[in-house]
Amino acid sequence: MQRTRRAWLGALGAAGAAALAGCGGVVDGLTGGGTPSGPGPPASEGDLYVGHELDVLNENITDGGVPKDGIPSVDEPEFQPADAASLADGDVVFGVERGGEAKAYPQYILVHHEIVNDTVGGDPVAVTYCPLTGTAQGFERGETTFGVSGRLVNSNLTMYDRDTDSWWPQVVATAIRGPRRGETLSEFRVVWTTWGEWRGAHPDTVVLTEETGYQRRYGSDPYGQYNPPRGYYTNDETLFEPLVSDDRVPPKRVVIGTRTDAGALAFDKQALLSERVLTGSIDGTDHVAVADATLSTGYVYANPDSVGVEPGDGGYRVGGEVHASDALPLERVLAFDGMWFAWAGFYPELPYVR
Amino acid sequence: MSGEAAGGREAAGNRALGLLRQSGVAVRGALSRRDGRATAAVAGLGYLLVYLVGLGHLGVGPSGLELSVVADPLTRALQLRGPFQWEPVALAVVGPVELLVSPLNIALGTLLGLLVGLNLAVSLVAYRGPAACKLGPGAGAAAGLPGILSGFACCGPTILIVLGLQASATVLTLFQWLLPLTVLALVGTLLWVGRKVEA
Repeated sequence: MQRTRRAWLGALGAAGAAALAGCGGVVDGLTGGGTPSGPGPPASEGDLYVGHELDVLNENITDGGVPKDGIPSVDEPEFQPADAASLADGDVVFGVERGGEAKAYPQYILVHHEIVNDTVGGDPVAVTYCPLTGTAQGFERGETTFGVSGRLVNSNLTMYDRDTDSWWPQVVATAIRGPRRGETLSEFRVVWTTWGEWRGAHPDTVVLTEETGYQRRYGSDPYGQYNPPRGYYTNDETLFEPLVSDDRVPPKRVVIGTRTDAGALAFDKQALLSERVLTGSIDGTDHVAVADATLSTGYVYANPDSVGVEPGDGGYRVGGEVHASDALPLERVLAFDGMWFAWAGFYPELPYVR
Repeated sequence: MSGEAAGGREAAGNRALGLLRQSGVAVRGALSRRDGRATAAVAGLGYLLVYLVGLGHLGVGPSGLELSVVADPLTRALQLRGPFQWEPVALAVVGPVELLVSPLNIALGTLLGLLVGLNLAVSLVAYRGPAACKLGPGAGAAAGLPGILSGFACCGPTILIVLGLQASATVLTLFQWLLPLTVLALVGTLLWVGRKVEA
């Protein structure tokens, strides 16, 4: 990582003035059980398969060791052009492309905040990251914002929305406690990639800066690092006992998983990048995963008619025509990277394809 | 009966006062010597630094020279980030050294460092003195260990991985109590060592 230093001694004067004016306060957080101050985030039209009864998830909420908002979300994110960023090509970023706008959220910043309440392509969204499960996901947030509850389920970030104080574990994207219990968030794809790849694909991207409104030692990741990988991200230890242990795969192995209304399915990411096409099934319906070499990621499509998908030059051949990996003429389903133990814990006995 | 109880309470109170007085004498005696003062200063400062490293507030990073402060330092300084951990209000960088300034944590670390330093200074003086007690000079420092461990509980108890433990409600609760236990342990050892010095 080649970060540069901010130099803003001048902030001192402004800081004193702001303190005297009494401005600030990160969150007007509800404490649970309060009166909802708004409708909360928009719900998805359809439900998602959840691998456990909601009561089971609710009973397995654990204290993560920090209070509500002890890990503060970024609520007023600032961005800079790609040329101004001092990231190394191999640094992990979470990329979002939406409404003609491309944004990159560096992992080394999100590890300290986990949630960025942002607006992308004119839409209010939350870009979220859980370091312990290695999952980066995007959610519509409507007029509200999300915060970090300080609780975990299956080691996974449990968000709360600041309108209703409902609790939403990130991976299942379904409220397990509060007025919105049982409802599912509206999601969008966040691509786990590297800065070099994202910038190559989106030269006009902007990048989240360290001007988060908080002071952190951003070069210091409390869990380890990704570039090069070490620490928690690579060893076989989990901090909390998974909901369900499944030793088919080492716990931190990265899979690209998907869940629909009918079930869940995981593709081994390394195998997908190497094989380019993998096929699995959810409740009898074929699903096909295709690799995107440009961003070192993959996309998953429902393929109920089991049409042939073949790797070709510059894309994938479907019905005699070549299509880009993210634009096959099939119904794309949301998929995202995650550590195996997280997927296996939330969705017991889910099929694993490699 | 009540008269006896009152007498008992008075005697216990007198004993406690005597213990405090003895410890006060021991501390003053230790600090009147050069080796005692040096021990207290070095151990106290050393503890503070290790505590800040444990919190993740002190470490090395990209080289630079910087002082940046949040927009609302007074509010932020009181916001809890974890058990006995508060929001940093500033980042100071000198060369490769980075320091996050959380005033309450620095105050707490200084208090703990002071107690560790005094423990060691009194222990050392007692150890070298004619009425050497059986207490090694390391006892005071050992009493401070839980406080250092408590610092590592920040941002996810990664120290648990180092210790080979899996987090659970019990372990996390224990972590929350490490710091107050440290204060009690340090005060306790100081009183104990002080009594030995007078003996």
